[in-house]
Formats: sequence, structure tokens, C-alpha cells
Amino acid sequence: MAEGGRRDREGAGKAQISLAAIAIAFFWLGVTSFGGGTAAWLYRAMVQRRHWIDDQAYLSGVALSRVMPGSGGVNLTVQVGQQLRGGAGAVVAVVGLLSGPLVIVIALAAAFARIAGSALAHAVLDGVAAAAIGLTFATGLVLVPRGASQFGQIAIVAVTALTVGGLRWPLLPVVSCLAPLSIGLALLQQRWRR
Amino acid sequence: MPGDWRALLALVLVFGPLSLFSIGGGASLLAEIEHQAVGVHHWTSPREFADLFAISRAAPGPGTMLSALIGWKVAGWPGALTASVALYLPSSLLVFVTARLWGRWRGSAWHAAVENGLAPVAAGLVLAGGIAVLRAMPGGPAIWITAVVATVLLMRWPQLNPLALFAVSGLLFGVFAALGH
Repeated sequence: MAEGGRRDREGAGKAQISLAAIAIAFFWLGVTSFGGGTAAWLYRAMVQRRHWIDDQAYLSGVALSRVMPGSGGVNLTVQVGQQLRGGAGAVVAVVGLLSGPLVIVIALAAAFARIAGSALAHAVLDGVAAAAIGLTFATGLVLVPRGASQFGQIAIVAVTALTVGGLRWPLLPVVSCLAPLSIGLALLQQRWRR
Repeated sequence: MPGDWRALLALVLVFGPLSLFSIGGGASLLAEIEHQAVGVHHWTSPREFADLFAISRAAPGPGTMLSALIGWKVAGWPGALTASVALYLPSSLLVFVTARLWGRWRGSAWHAAVENGLAPVAAGLVLAGGIAVLRAMPGGPAIWITAVVATVLLMRWPQLNPLALFAVSGLLFGVFAALGH
């Protein structure tokens, strides 16, 4: 009962959050979320600090972001904006989130274009890129399922990485074949366990 | 200019469909973006692609700004905006529409199977992206060793700030290059 009341009050509070406030909050989220972990930063800014959505809504949003295509941070932002102010809220939140990083990244690229002839600048960028490749591999490896019962899943990871990365097969047909296969495998394993 | 329109259209045709195939986030598209930008459309040289990748990772925000940079390289600001909208709009619309249905599916066997089934494909695509950028780079032992060391460090200490790692690595490469000349 008490929780229902709290939720009602929160619902009433949500209606008062202005589109401008949403835009500003997500703009700051965009320019301050470094390292790609937008979902984690969003939790801090929107759930813990502003209390715009509760834990349950956040977790449900994260789960949907995982199964839907698109950047996890952007997908979560769409959902939070939608919960706060419907379609307009979603648009304002996503534009707010992306506008800052877009300007910053192009300013960086434009600045680099001026010194692109310099061997030193290329060396520095090679260093950054090499470390960023490490981040990419670490992210991919953390996602690899572990355990002997996961043999099929590990094979799918390997086939995906080798065909798309190694053999340069186009992504669309590979994913169109492997994703249903992998989901079918997961369904079979669920039945097996029961 | 018709040439500009053709370039913008090409960006939409590349990034629009990819939007709906970016399983597990933008990182999963890295290999395909490299393939399209370098191999198919010749929008960048391999060298330029590696540079843009590094710049996109050093900037804040969701990790998919690489597409905006490719768009910018092809057609300036209109290109950057076109590539961004093409990449984010279809997937965002899909989430917007499914968000309401999602609540009803929670806890079903289907839901778990989709989540567990897509995870290995996403992991494979992210790893493919790392391979694709390594291939686009000039190569040499320093780059390979750094990539491996960074992978091990970030897996061993996940709370490590990747930006700090990028800065240290960039600095080291810069110092070695300066000493070598």
C-alpha cells in the first residue's frame, strides 16, 4: 500500500518534469559519460540523484536494451524519456544525450585533421587506438559465456568473430543466420534443464 | 549539389540497416563499418579509419560516434548528422514501440532465450570489431603488444579507467616516435 502511494506521487512528479530539464540532464549525461559506460552513468544520474525512475524500471530498461539492437545507453535513454514525457520526452532525451558528444568528437577530428601530417600525432593516435582495441577485446571476452555446458555458445562466439572479423563476411547475413540459431539453442537448453 | 545528395544517401543506405543489426550495442558494428567505409565505399583509407576509431574512443558519450565521424569525413556536418540519424533512429523507434510490450513478456521462457541467445553473437561481433581495427592499423609488434596488454589489464581490473589507459598508451607511443626521429 505504502509503495503504491509512493509510486503515485512519483507518477505525479514525473508529469512536472519539463522537456528542457530532460534535455539538460541528458546533455550532461552525454558529455560526462566517458568510456562507453553510459548505462552505468545513467543509473547514477537519473535513478540515484534525480529519482526520475525507480530501480525496477531501470533494470527492465536494461534488459530490453540488451535484446534490442542499438547502443545500450541510447536505448535506455529512449525508455527513460518515454516514461517521463512520452514521445517528445524520448526525442528530447536522445537529442540531448547525443548532441554534446557529436560536437566534441567532430571538434577533435577537425583539430586532428590540421596536424594529420605530423608523424608524432599519428604515433599518439596509434597508441590510443591500440589501447582502445584492448578495451574492445576485453568487452567482447567478458561477454563470452563460461562453463562446459556452454560449448554451443562458445562455438557461436568463435564463428561470429572469425567470419565477420577474420573472413570479412558481411554482418547482415551472418547475424540473420546465427542469431536465430543461437536463440534456438538457448531455448533447447532451457527445455533440457527442466 | 547532386554529388552531396548521393553521398548522404549512401550514408543512409549503409548505416540505416546496420542500426537494426547492432546487437549488444554499437561496438558490434565496428567490423562492418570498417568493411563498408574502407573496403566497399573507400570513404577512408585504412590509416584514416584507425585514426577516426581512436578519436571516437577518446570522446565522451555512447561508443558509436565513429559513424558520425565517417559521415563527417564523407560530407561534413550534414554527413555527420545524416549518419547519426540513420544509425540511431531505426533502433530507437524499435525500442520505443516495444517498451510497452516488453513488460508483458517478462519472465517468459522466450524472453530468457532471446537474451541468452543474442549474447554469444554480440560477443563475437565485438571481438570481430577488434580484429577489424587491428587489420586497418599499420601493424607492428608495438601495436599488438599494447592491444594484448590493455586487454589483460582491463579484464583483470574492470574498474580501471579506460581513458587513463588510452592517455598513457598514446603518450608512450608519442615519446617513442619522438625519440626515434
